[in-house]
Amino acid sequence: MIEYAVFFFFAAVAVIFALMVVLHRNPVVGALALVASFFALAVMYVLLEAPFLAALQVIVYAGAIMVLFLFVIMLLNLQKQSEEPTRPLQQFLGYAGSAAFGIGLVYYLSKYAVMELPAGPFIADARTVGIRLFEAYIFPFEMVSILLLAAIVGALLLSGVRMEERT
Amino acid sequence: MNPWMHYLVWPLVKFLVAFIIVQGIVAAMNWVERRLLGFVQARLGPNRVGPKGLLQIIADPVKFLLKEDIVPANAETIAYFLGPILPLIPTFLVYCLIPFGPPPTFVAARVNVAVLLVLALTSTGVYGIILGGWASNNKYSLMGGLRSAAQMVSYEVPFGLSIVGVLMLSGSLDLVKIVNYQADHIWNLFPQLIAAFIFFVAMTAETNRTPFDLPEADSELVGGYHTEYSAMKFAFFMLAEYSAMLVNCCLMTLLFLGGWTLAIGGYGLTTQTLQHMGIPGGMLGVLIFIVKVMTFMLVYIWFRATFPRFRFDQLMDLGWKWMIPLALANIVVTGVVVLLGQSLNFQGEVVLSIAGAAIVGYTLYNLRPRAKVVHASRVSEV
Repeated sequence: MIEYAVFFFFAAVAVIFALMVVLHRNPVVGALALVASFFALAVMYVLLEAPFLAALQVIVYAGAIMVLFLFVIMLLNLQKQSEEPTRPLQQFLGYAGSAAFGIGLVYYLSKYAVMELPAGPFIADARTVGIRLFEAYIFPFEMVSILLLAAIVGALLLSGVRMEERT
Repeated sequence: MNPWMHYLVWPLVKFLVAFIIVQGIVAAMNWVERRLLGFVQARLGPNRVGPKGLLQIIADPVKFLLKEDIVPANAETIAYFLGPILPLIPTFLVYCLIPFGPPPTFVAARVNVAVLLVLALTSTGVYGIILGGWASNNKYSLMGGLRSAAQMVSYEVPFGLSIVGVLMLSGSLDLVKIVNYQADHIWNLFPQLIAAFIFFVAMTAETNRTPFDLPEADSELVGGYHTEYSAMKFAFFMLAEYSAMLVNCCLMTLLFLGGWTLAIGGYGLTTQTLQHMGIPGGMLGVLIFIVKVMTFMLVYIWFRATFPRFRFDQLMDLGWKWMIPLALANIVVTGVVVLLGQSLNFQGEVVLSIAGAAIVGYTLYNLRPRAKVVHASRVSEV
């Protein structure tokens, strides 16, 4: 019973803050709302009896990535964003695309979503996650690492080019 | 037992007791720090209020409570108020997870991924500093917040990586199991010497303490992120900083110095021995734990008294070019030795301890006092 109360409270928190990320004008507030949403998501993992994933969620997203986001937002001083909409067609396409995606998501979720949990105990501790990650999902894991490497090389290239122009 | 008592009331009571004791220690640390700094710098420090200045512990909060609370005219109001309060929540929550003595009496909540949860909570403490710096609408404050963000992100990496070796040796993320492992074998300080060093440096950087206090560098940024804060809000920042220091010292003690035990190879005051002794044994364990933690708090103050502040590029160099590669190398070496030890049946800890001792010996040998000829070009460089 108490699980339901906790679930619905934090589900509401997650949804409200996620909406705030999209709708709020101030990017700093948006970033902070995203952090709050991540915390609510971490509570979901705890409710699913996966505290390992909850801790990882907070460490990786709230503790590292969002700090960098905030850093960049503050560095660029993007505090007040209230520009006039200049491209009505693109704006309309954006709204239409998002709406289509949202409707499709709801449709497929209601059609194919798992309504019953699979039988057997649900284990998501460090050992199980590690073994799955390095046995069953080793290929996607390595692909992600290559993707990140490409991003690092790209960043180096971009900053390197600027250095050459300056000198 | 009634599940409500077991899962809610008792942990809350334990948490409150730990919380009150910890806050007492934090308040006292302020006085200890100022007296010790005075001692190191050949002056007196606060010695007027009460015997040896001890009542300063009460006088300071009273002053903070009575001072005028100023909000800058162009501050972002909500963020400005959230700034000092946000970092308090995670640093206080951490005390639920830290075992102060032998289980089950002295642990409020024993979680099987306690190390990760503690890391997660401490890593979110930086938001208060960033928010406070940004919301003050002051260039110096913003610079302080930005520096803090960059420093945190850089030092979070070696901080986390240095723990991995400990986890590989003990094979668990549970703080209690890690402590028991150390009592049965040897303090992780010896086989994980480099990791312990990296951990201590990174945790000094995480709490913005000298020599890593760039976010509040008074000589460059007035007061950094807390320039615009006065009265209780400023006190909250200080409270969060000292609480975080204490949490980190507790982690250091649990991960590298055997927590509440005083045993080697299973002989001495292990958890079982202390549990057999009942309540006095538990108290003894807590005492041992507090002595170890306080030693590290004193090292923090010693650092502050003796080290000059790093420059920002030196800070980044130390983090990214020295500590992260060192931590990664430590992980590889530890992993190889542990695996070899399992398959060839020898004690990996012994090998790692000997290797660590050799490295320290070599470093000390290189640092031995020698009659130096200082070249003229070196002097002009300085």
